[in-house]
Amino acid sequence: MTNPLILKLEQRDSLSDAEKRALENAIARIRIVEADEDIVREGDRPNESCLLLDGFAARYKIVSNGRRQISALQIAGDFIDLHSFLLKTMDHGVLALTTCRIATVPHATLEKITAEFPHLTRMLWLDTLIDGAIHREWLTAMGRLSATAHMAQLICELFLRLKAVGRIEGDTIYLPITQAELGDTLGLSTVHVNRVLQELRKEGMIRFQGDALTILDWERLKSVGEFNHTYLSLQNEDR
Amino acid sequence: MRDITLQPMPVLADGGRHEGQLILADGQLVAVFTWVTSEETAGGDERAGGWFLEAGFGPCSSLISATPPVLATLNDAVSWVRDRLDHGLTP
Repeated sequence: MTNPLILKLEQRDSLSDAEKRALENAIARIRIVEADEDIVREGDRPNESCLLLDGFAARYKIVSNGRRQISALQIAGDFIDLHSFLLKTMDHGVLALTTCRIATVPHATLEKITAEFPHLTRMLWLDTLIDGAIHREWLTAMGRLSATAHMAQLICELFLRLKAVGRIEGDTIYLPITQAELGDTLGLSTVHVNRVLQELRKEGMIRFQGDALTILDWERLKSVGEFNHTYLSLQNEDR
Repeated sequence: MRDITLQPMPVLADGGRHEGQLILADGQLVAVFTWVTSEETAGGDERAGGWFLEAGFGPCSSLISATPPVLATLNDAVSWVRDRLDHGLTP
């Protein structure tokens, strides 16, 4: 199966065979991290970065009263802590929400890629820029959208991101995330998470069955969530 | 010790009519609790029905308590309110 990072990057620009080979060969080993375990901890100084091949993970911080805020959801193809290559010390942790299959890429290999592959380097740069764009969108939603709109936006975003790495089945995504975890992501109580999901369901926009979430009315969901996919930079062009 | 009184009041919350209680401290409204079913808390840590802090004011406001609690009984809700009032503005 194609490395999902390659799928993700190729959505945005073509990669040469040499670039794809460089990415494939960059993988030093495969790690399995079980659900609820840390992939990388706040304060760590890793000498390798983790590329998520399968599963869901969350960037998070814990505040002094023990409450957790999830600041990003990571899916297959996300280079979870590419940041640590340059930031050195992790300012947040990354937690596996489900069993995660992870490819580790030594920082020394990343350094070699930046020296030998300028276009691939720009593509990895683009990847972290998109992470930043998603953060901006989440911050705006958190501060200014209603809980229902915020949830709708998150579902739209996850659908397109999963689609970009071939992880959807028709209009259905598999989202093995608990309502408590969604609450920590959206800054809502579990009660509110449940209410907004019920509202979206009652309005006929989504249907969920276990972990499977089906989008029934994309246009309406998009409109409720004020979702505009520009920030995901999904179009293929020279970069 | 503050005088805490309860006043039943239905609340039109998301999802429709909920049984509710206004909680007043010395005659001032500090919190509105609604009864939520186990279905509404499903997936959370609570996994049971209870009294949910629908709205809070001053020391009971959501700015102070980042995640509104679901409490098993009204007595627990009153204890929670007393605790918030005692702590004032420190979380």
